Amino acid sequence: MSAATFQALFARLVIDPTFRDDVRAQGATALDGDLTALERERLLFVSADPGMDVTRTLHKGFRLSKLMGQLPLTCAALGKEALAREVAEFWRRNPPVSFYYLAEAVAFCDFLAARLEEGMEAPTPYLAEVAAWERAGLELQRPRPEGEVPPLQIVEFAHDPLPLLAALRRGEAPEPAERPCLMIGGYDGGKVEWRLAED
Amino acid sequence: MPENLTAIPKLGVGLAYQPALRPFLETRGDTFDYLEVVPDILWTDLGAGTAPRYIDDKAGIDFLRRVAGDRPVVPHGIGLSIGTAHRFNRGQLDQIEKWHGWFQFPWHSDHLAWNLAEHGVDELNAGVTLPLPRDQETLDALAPRVAEVRRRLPVPFLLENNVYFFSMPGEEMSDAEFLNALCAQTGCGLLLDLHNVYCNARNHRTDPFRLLAELDLANVVEIHVAGGMEHEGWYLDAHSGPLPEPVWELLRHCLPRCPNLGGVTFEMLGSWFVEMGGDRLAQELTALREAWHRWQPVPSHLVEVAA
Repeated sequence: MSAATFQALFARLVIDPTFRDDVRAQGATALDGDLTALERERLLFVSADPGMDVTRTLHKGFRLSKLMGQLPLTCAALGKEALAREVAEFWRRNPPVSFYYLAEAVAFCDFLAARLEEGMEAPTPYLAEVAAWERAGLELQRPRPEGEVPPLQIVEFAHDPLPLLAALRRGEAPEPAERPCLMIGGYDGGKVEWRLAED
Repeated sequence: MPENLTAIPKLGVGLAYQPALRPFLETRGDTFDYLEVVPDILWTDLGAGTAPRYIDDKAGIDFLRRVAGDRPVVPHGIGLSIGTAHRFNRGQLDQIEKWHGWFQFPWHSDHLAWNLAEHGVDELNAGVTLPLPRDQETLDALAPRVAEVRRRLPVPFLLENNVYFFSMPGEEMSDAEFLNALCAQTGCGLLLDLHNVYCNARNHRTDPFRLLAELDLANVVEIHVAGGMEHEGWYLDAHSGPLPEPVWELLRHCLPRCPNLGGVTFEMLGSWFVEMGGDRLAQELTALREAWHRWQPVPSHLVEVAA
């Protein structure tokens, strides 16, 4: 089905800047697959058209707004520069697969945790715990079949979580005191509820 | 003109639902005649192969029922991806059928576009509506899908003209020719998004009134209006506030010329509501209603009240 191949390549032009650059640089040789001459001509044309750049900007803007909407404090803890770098790498490894972005936000938290494990220099000392906390909140809110109760979430903090999260919510740079503790989250009455574990 | 479009109820002016508009919807229900909803935001699709696949947002649906009251709730989907070549998203149709059972809407719509594409063993979702080539091959691919939608739902199905930022070589038809042929060959109606018409005209330096002159306006069942913004030399369909004057001019041109028009819907992203504010939104809806009353019959629900 050449129309399906055409759309698969077209979508890659929108979401994958490396592929778009390859098509721009190499022309038809970068376009594998069963395509008609007209489909090939159309892909070459749109790859070079400035309209493709604005289409890509809209795609990126939509996808980023979903991530920032679900992980506002993690994005704040990353800061602008690290956020742009890490999101670009995450997207390179994970193409968009759904209109529902909760799973993508959870996957981004896992990606950050793995990057920190691999030795990524954290832009802030509290990034890991903030990302883990927001990830746990999303797990609690994940849509589930009726009657299914989400399991409790336990998040380990190295810093005092309440002033840390409050400062991030206010858009301030936190200066959190060290305070190893656990926060426990549950979902009750349609709301996520958090409490500090007893010392 | 598709024969099923002549009995469309005259709803009047609608507001596109966004969660951020909830306080407005609860307190200013007097400013709109119907609610339009992107139903996809009130369910979650867990993906093919999951059971259950769709999780409905029951609280959100209850809210809609409550604020809509007796007014119609009209779905405007984004998930059908009717132009996707490798498969037809029938799961979306199952959901819309379920919604019809709940809301008994007088018509429903989706986008004349595609966003799903094959990607190895998986599938990509571009997250934006991508344009279809304006040619007979595209119409041939769309026709059986529109027919299937029409078989499954007993109310008119509309497709919305898309924004596009590039044309493609070898396109056989103008925008108007393509939309006219789409309606004639498939039996769907047209959701004419005038802000999209304005975006395309502005970005491609074409005359929007020429498009409207060539378009068979008897196919138009619903009109969308919105505001937009400039970005790096492009004008975007950002749904970012009140209608710009050129969109008002297009609306004033269309209102007296669309005999089968059922409603005019104002679209705004929730994130812009804070900036625009409830009073300004109410003012815009009032102005739209004044325009409706000047050129279109009294909305059906008001006729019933008067009777």
